[in-house]
Amino acid sequence: MSDSIRVAIAEDSAILRDGLVQLLADRGFEVTDAVSDPTALHEAVDRDRPDVVVVDIRMPPTFTDEGLRAAIELRRRHPGLGILLFSQYIETRYAAQLLADDAAGIGYLLKDRVADVSDFVEALVRVASGGTALDPEVVTQLVGASRKTDSLAGLSARERDVLALMAEGRSNAAIATGLVISEGAVEKHVANIFTKLDLPVSQSDHRRVLAVLRFLDS
Amino acid sequence: MMQTDEERHEVRLQLRLGSKERVMVLSEARVRQLRGFAHAVWREPFSRRTWSELGYFVMSAAVGAVGFVFIVVTLGAGIGLSVTFFGLAILAASVRGARGIGRLQRTIARNLLGEDLEEPPPFTSRPGFLGWLQSTLRDRVGWRAIAYSALKVPLAIFGVWFALSVWIGAFFGLTYPVFGAGTGQLKGFGVVRTLFPPGYLSVTSSGFIHSLFIFLTGVLLLGLAPWTMRAVVWLDRRLLHLLLGQDPITARMRSHEHARAQTVDASVATLRRIERDLHDGTQAQLVALAMRLGQAKEKLSAPGEVDLDEVRRLVNDAHGGAKEAIVELRDLARGIHPPVLDTGLEGALSTLAARSAIPTELSVTLSDRPTPAIEAIAYFCVAELLANVALHAEASRASVGCAQHGQWLRVVVRDDGRGGAQPALLGTSSSGLRGLADRVHGVDGTLDIKSPPGGPTIVTVDLPLHA
Repeated sequence: MSDSIRVAIAEDSAILRDGLVQLLADRGFEVTDAVSDPTALHEAVDRDRPDVVVVDIRMPPTFTDEGLRAAIELRRRHPGLGILLFSQYIETRYAAQLLADDAAGIGYLLKDRVADVSDFVEALVRVASGGTALDPEVVTQLVGASRKTDSLAGLSARERDVLALMAEGRSNAAIATGLVISEGAVEKHVANIFTKLDLPVSQSDHRRVLAVLRFLDS
Repeated sequence: MMQTDEERHEVRLQLRLGSKERVMVLSEARVRQLRGFAHAVWREPFSRRTWSELGYFVMSAAVGAVGFVFIVVTLGAGIGLSVTFFGLAILAASVRGARGIGRLQRTIARNLLGEDLEEPPPFTSRPGFLGWLQSTLRDRVGWRAIAYSALKVPLAIFGVWFALSVWIGAFFGLTYPVFGAGTGQLKGFGVVRTLFPPGYLSVTSSGFIHSLFIFLTGVLLLGLAPWTMRAVVWLDRRLLHLLLGQDPITARMRSHEHARAQTVDASVATLRRIERDLHDGTQAQLVALAMRLGQAKEKLSAPGEVDLDEVRRLVNDAHGGAKEAIVELRDLARGIHPPVLDTGLEGALSTLAARSAIPTELSVTLSDRPTPAIEAIAYFCVAELLANVALHAEASRASVGCAQHGQWLRVVVRDDGRGGAQPALLGTSSSGLRGLADRVHGVDGTLDIKSPPGGPTIVTVDLPLHA
């Protein structure tokens, strides 16, 4: 396939790296590089110009947030490159740092999510095409963090559900399927949310997420 | 040869005591020694040390007098009013002030006597006025400074009588021919007055000879003055170290605090290591396992022909991964707390000795069972030491001894390897022997490494039986 998505992987655990390479190849991705540290990742991206990178947050040498820093650096040097951060833990601080400028082409998932292969692949495709994929855990934490301000108090329970799915980066159609309601109902909820939160309506999916996160972050 | 013998410098002294006549022969070395001694005595009144000590005595006595007045007034007022809250505040101010006086005395002693007096830890107060009051009244440094000030006064009075009087007597004696002639006697007080009471010169009462004798008395006193002052300052030095130096109780508390901090650090390091091991090992294994099973599941439920070979391969990989994860998890759990330890140290150590890569002899003589914490430390010490022997020592045999000595447990690990082991090399990371040494110190135990180049290496760990 000439139009297959080109992926680079940075993951220091050999088992996971090999597993990912095999899984993505099986799903028709073109894996350009599979490396185990940030330096090699930068070289690989400069050389092979992949569409999207999958980056482990904890990598050598200090095993703290190398992956995150590498992602921020890559973002600066290669605008338009999709970045999917991949971690055993969700840290709200990391998510906030990552989404500080622009949520387009950014993903942040728990490693567990690869177990649901289709969802994972879908998220990767979304990030590669400039969308957003946030782990439900990230959304829960961000919503939880902002709850203190009572800023979501005005939303109904259903509207909060829709907001959470929106924040994950899902389209209206996906939200409708997820909540088993009609797409029209979702559109109505979204409109209500924007009105209640005083946000301008936008057509683009990732702009919605950005708007939501901007709000949650405040 | 004969010539040189004759040329040797000798001093012959002929002494006639009553009817006996004695001849003393002083060798050249002896003469040089005596001359050196006399020189030293003569020079002492002009040495830097002598004048520093005199300066110290005068300054610290002045500070001591002022401090004593302050303390007597505040302490008296404080105790007098201590039934009231105000009295307690004055008392606290007294202790606080004494701390300042103590610091001043230390500074003077450091600069003029060159005494090595460590500054006590700065005063730390609990929050609030009541907290300040409580912390101040419990401030050992302050109370010790009060004790010093109290003892300083009699010492200073004695010093004036015994040492300062000699200096002053020397001054009056030496200047007598110029200023004092005609008064007929040496002005003096204290010990000088005792040694040379008025009329001690009965030979003459006036004239040149009289002045000369008083002048010579002054010379004698000048020779004595450095030494009486040194004696007084020596007493003061003892007092300084006892009351203004490092407090043995505070020092012990600080050493305990340090040990506790090390223990806390060591346990945090251990937790971090366990987290890392879990993250890199088991968690990664399980994620990979879930990924393969997820792939297999999707392949099986995909529409159309199922590629059974592919599914079989995925399930096979997952199965292997699951077994690896189990082994990793078991090893990790054993690293946290070996289950075999629950049955006692002896069983646990015999497992270690049997598993060791080098033939290891074990002897355990224990009549009481140590507390679990001590057993764990002993176990991990032996585990780490045997691992080091296998890795670095190039040994052919090793032995582990574990014996009870009263309330102590002594663990000795020795090997016949090449030696030259250093604590720093044995464990650079906190997970190595370094971390264990911290844990050993944390329970007031000791870890001693004897490893001469060429071997053998003997590591002795002493632990209290109960901690």
